Amino acid sequence: MSVTVLLFGILAVVAVASGISTVMSRNPVASAMSLVLHFFTLAGIYLTLQAQFIAAVQVLVYAGAIMVLVVFMIMLLNVGREEQMRENPGYRTIIGTALGVMLAFQVGKTAFTDVAGRHVLPPGSAVTGTTEALGETLFKMYLFPFEAVSLLLLVAVVGAVILAKRKI
Amino acid sequence: MLQDFLNSAPIPLLSALATLVMLLDAMKRDGARIVFGFSVFSLTAAMAAAIYTMFLPDKTTAFNNMITCGGYGAYFDIVFCLGGVLTLLAARPFLLASNTEHGEFYSLILFSICGMFLIAHSNNLLTLFIGIEVMSVSFYILSGYLRTSRFSIEASLKYFLLGAFITGFLVYGMALIYGSAGALGYNEIYQAVQGETGARFPMILLLGMGLLIIGLSFKSAIFPFHQWAPDVYQGAPTIVTAFMSTAGKAAAFSAFIPILAVLTPESSSPVAAKIGMLLAVLSAATMLVGNISAVVQKNIKRMLAYSSVAHAGYMMMGLAAGSVRGASGIVFYVTAYMFMQIGAFILISALERGSEERYQNLEDYAGLAKKHPVMAALMSVFMLSLTGIPPFAGFFGKYYLFTAAIESGYTWLTIIAVISSVISVYFYIGLIVAMYFRESDVQEQDSRPGLAGISLVISAAGVIILGVIPQFIDKIAKSLF
Amino acid sequence: MLDLAYLIPLFPLIGFLITGFFGKKLKSEALIGGIASAAVGLSFAVAATLFFTLTGLPADARSHTTYIFSWLAAGNFNVDVAYQVDQLSIVYALIVTGIGTLIHIYSMGYMHGDKSYPRFFAYLNLFIFMMLNLVLANNFLLTFLGWEGVGLCSYLLIGFWYDRKFEGVNIRFTGDAANKAFIANRIGDFGVLIAMFLIYKTFGTLEYNAVNTAAAVAPPDAGIMTAIALLLFLGSTGKSAQLPLAVWLPDAMAGPTPVSALIHAATMVTAGIFLVARNATLFALAPDAMTVVAVVGVTTALVAATIGIVQNDIKKVLAYSTVSQLGFMFAALGVGAFTAAVFHVMTHAFFKALLFLGSGSVIHGMHEEQDIQKMGGLKKYMPVTHRTFLIGTIAISGIPPLAGFFSKDEILWMTFEHGGHGPMWIILAIAAFCTAFYMFRLYYLTFGGKERFDHHRLHPHESPVTMTLPLNVLAFLSVVGGFLGVPYALGFFASDHPNLLENWLGPIFSQANGILGRGEHHSIHAIEYVLMAASIAIATAGILLASKLYKEESEKPAELARKFKGAYNLLLHKYRIDEIYQALVVSFIYQFSERFLWKVFDVKIVDGLINGAAKTTQSAGESLRRIQSGVTQNYALLMIAGIVVILTWLAVG
Repeated sequence: MSVTVLLFGILAVVAVASGISTVMSRNPVASAMSLVLHFFTLAGIYLTLQAQFIAAVQVLVYAGAIMVLVVFMIMLLNVGREEQMRENPGYRTIIGTALGVMLAFQVGKTAFTDVAGRHVLPPGSAVTGTTEALGETLFKMYLFPFEAVSLLLLVAVVGAVILAKRKI
Repeated sequence: MLQDFLNSAPIPLLSALATLVMLLDAMKRDGARIVFGFSVFSLTAAMAAAIYTMFLPDKTTAFNNMITCGGYGAYFDIVFCLGGVLTLLAARPFLLASNTEHGEFYSLILFSICGMFLIAHSNNLLTLFIGIEVMSVSFYILSGYLRTSRFSIEASLKYFLLGAFITGFLVYGMALIYGSAGALGYNEIYQAVQGETGARFPMILLLGMGLLIIGLSFKSAIFPFHQWAPDVYQGAPTIVTAFMSTAGKAAAFSAFIPILAVLTPESSSPVAAKIGMLLAVLSAATMLVGNISAVVQKNIKRMLAYSSVAHAGYMMMGLAAGSVRGASGIVFYVTAYMFMQIGAFILISALERGSEERYQNLEDYAGLAKKHPVMAALMSVFMLSLTGIPPFAGFFGKYYLFTAAIESGYTWLTIIAVISSVISVYFYIGLIVAMYFRESDVQEQDSRPGLAGISLVISAAGVIILGVIPQFIDKIAKSLF
Repeated sequence: MLDLAYLIPLFPLIGFLITGFFGKKLKSEALIGGIASAAVGLSFAVAATLFFTLTGLPADARSHTTYIFSWLAAGNFNVDVAYQVDQLSIVYALIVTGIGTLIHIYSMGYMHGDKSYPRFFAYLNLFIFMMLNLVLANNFLLTFLGWEGVGLCSYLLIGFWYDRKFEGVNIRFTGDAANKAFIANRIGDFGVLIAMFLIYKTFGTLEYNAVNTAAAVAPPDAGIMTAIALLLFLGSTGKSAQLPLAVWLPDAMAGPTPVSALIHAATMVTAGIFLVARNATLFALAPDAMTVVAVVGVTTALVAATIGIVQNDIKKVLAYSTVSQLGFMFAALGVGAFTAAVFHVMTHAFFKALLFLGSGSVIHGMHEEQDIQKMGGLKKYMPVTHRTFLIGTIAISGIPPLAGFFSKDEILWMTFEHGGHGPMWIILAIAAFCTAFYMFRLYYLTFGGKERFDHHRLHPHESPVTMTLPLNVLAFLSVVGGFLGVPYALGFFASDHPNLLENWLGPIFSQANGILGRGEHHSIHAIEYVLMAASIAIATAGILLASKLYKEESEKPAELARKFKGAYNLLLHKYRIDEIYQALVVSFIYQFSERFLWKVFDVKIVDGLINGAAKTTQSAGESLRRIQSGVTQNYALLMIAGIVVILTWLAVG
């Protein structure tokens, strides 16, 4: 077992655990903090996959900016324990959990069917994840989708304004 | 580079014009009329560009194979623009009546059409994804456009939550395909899938395909991913529903056809057979669920929403057939459906005139033939076409799809389709019966459709012309593949 | 030039769309009527232009097909929307648009003030459009479209005043009369439909030229040919009101009079003759069917003519006269005298349209009175109507040199020569005698003698110029129309081909004539002169008898009626055909329908199935509605379930 696999194993366990904790914990702040942890572990997994830039962005944007927003919202709205939100754990939770497990099992089973030649990263992949290499690809090969994304952001901004602004 | 821009003219053109529309709105306060005019102009210009690119001598790709040019995509561009123009013309009187005319409405419609352009032209999963998101986000916002209406907001939120939920699966599917084929471009995927050994990880590829189909099924409201449709279509402003349920569905199918052709290159392979069977089962279930649910509806928008679910099922027959005839059948059906469904919804929007109480339920349509004979006649045309009665477009749409399914050996599917068509007669003709043979004691003030009248006449003309000379569009549709 | 054929039906279609959709908006009657008339007038102009283009071409190049678009294509089955301009179709197109224009103009005066003025003109334009599709089509299916279309327009126009009372067997309202016409036509249409299936199965195409050529080159089995011909003829009996389906036409008089003139005298009812003439080759190959056509035609001519003698409703007399004249035409078709039939279609269109419009003018002037026993002496009140009506009466009676003489005489001569030298000629001669008699009876009772109407209540007046102008034009045509078909026996000294129409239509029927073994033989028969003289004598006798009985007020007619009470009543009740149908067919169907179809088949079997299916659907819908709870989380749940099922199936199956 190489170091990478070991590292991945640890990070994966922590990621899943923090994910479950995010959903399960009753205190919103605790939930948010679990999410931060989760994001960090994800960044770690990206690193093991030689995706340095993505890892950095993950930390900066998600664990940094977005989580700050989430925590702000929790504080501003003064959400306490989610009492009134919770119904009794009726059929939905049970069926939902069952289906989730089935789905996980299904995907897992498929993932382990043909494994030959899966663990080896292609040669030179240490370079692919760098900012430089990414920039090359993004602004040459994928220039068109990159520009198209600006359209998407524009729509999102317009939508936020329309739906949220008091008077337009 | 310049050649790329020229070959894919509609996309950059409409993106630029849509942004301009927004700026125009920002600069000119209370200039909604000008914004409206400019929007219609923009769509017409984009349509002209699409017609120009459609006749390009050879089918090429642009921007590093990110999008295809001309042909197939251009035809859909024309359909989207047509739907957009019909919607815009009807939208202005609707918005004025409900006192909510803002320039943003028009720019959002244009943006969503930009997204559809990307979908229809996509030659790369990344482009496809961005296109889907641009369209969907625009739709989320448009559904909630009437901010003061409880229903509108609810529709928007529901659509957004479920849409975001399914997007996860869509992206996951794309990721799995990438993992298996090693590329996102359609050409590379095609190469990878076609090799003698097939893709490197066939199971993963199959799973990816399944998830991709699921994601697109949600966008076209296929069972069991259809449940958002009735709620959203009912709650959203009628005019938005008109647009979403036609152009949106057309866009989803425009994505379906090429991606399935890429992923199942040999129609005789076991994978293709399996996918075909999956699509056939989904199609059958969708038709039955859509039509049976529509039978018990009392609200007309809800009834049409379920009927639109059923029509997605009919269209999926063409996908299941997996042949050129099936694909061209879908292209024809999308065109026919555009006219009849948009016509019906626009007619409802013209009748309700911005109110959320008028002409919502089927019984409100009793005696419409006396009050508004022309409206009732037009509605009858749309309903008859939706049912699939011969001289109208809907009949030939179904005819082409049914023959495609039979030719590909899906006789059982065709039988189910016919049965569900028979069920659909109940509520379509029911509306006509209500309009013509029932009396209503409600006195009616005058209700002129205004600009929506133009849309209605165009739609009705489209339904009739396609029904009288179906060969014309059918020939074009066949030439796209 | 000939490719402009599509313009002929296009103009009335545009007229229909304008008057139909914007008629109420237009407000002005003159504008609506003007647009509708102009639409048909333009068609006439185009048709006339095409006609003169055709005359400039050599005789064998006078057929031209214009393809508009491919209509239906499925496998080998291919039908185009295509218009065929040739000698036959252009003659029909000219009649339809020419007389159509006149009747449109007439209607502007006749329908003045009617509350549904735009609707009337919309229907009329639609009718012209459909009729032109019928005659210009190059294939059976397009003709059938027109065939059904004119049937529909006829239905709509008969029932135009749908809430007016109208007398008849089992008929109380005009709407009932419209239904009767529609049903009688449906029976015939069924025949055409089956014939089309057979034709497609036998020849693999529905195009007239291809079918007729294929049949001439390699005639299929005689049985099939007879079946096809008889089924087509069944359609013709429906549309052209021949026995046994003749019953609807007299009741169709419930419609406005211009409609009776246009649809139920001049154009639509001759569609049956068109169908037979268009497929002359098919009929020529089925001699048995030809015999049936001839017998039916002759019988109808006599039966209808005798009924016409005793009728008192001005329009009914004309209606029976129309049925009888159509019988003449079918008799001609049956003996293979296709040209004579088409010739009579044309002249009949002139004088029967004239007579109907004249009667309309009378009804208009008499404030909706239609009973000729309550008229009389209208001569001095309505001079123009009187003069033109008299011309029409003479023309139909067959007095030379008016139009009716030439065409009727040609039919009589042809039936004598090719129809067994006697019996058929005699029957038709009797019918011709009756024709002359009842037409002059009608004329004298209406215009001559004493005034039998109430002077205080009624003030007869002449009709406006929009109505008298068409009367004058048609009167002129009724006088000169016959010279298009001067028989060889009378005109050989003037030219080699005095019969212009026969010359013109020759190429159309050459195939059929070849099969029947009719060459061009123009020997002069002494017997032809004898028969010609006889037919003039018969017509004169009829006229003289009528004037003896009806010119002056007398008791003689009533006396005769008392003396031959049985015969009189039989004729008055139209041989009780309606009642017989009622007893035999209608009530049988009723009984069968009520006892079995309704109470057993419908209620027990069909309703059971349908209700069962409907109930299942409803309950399925209800349970589906329960799933549609409106709770977003549940939707997501169902979606996940769907995803799991789909993925499992893909991975495992």
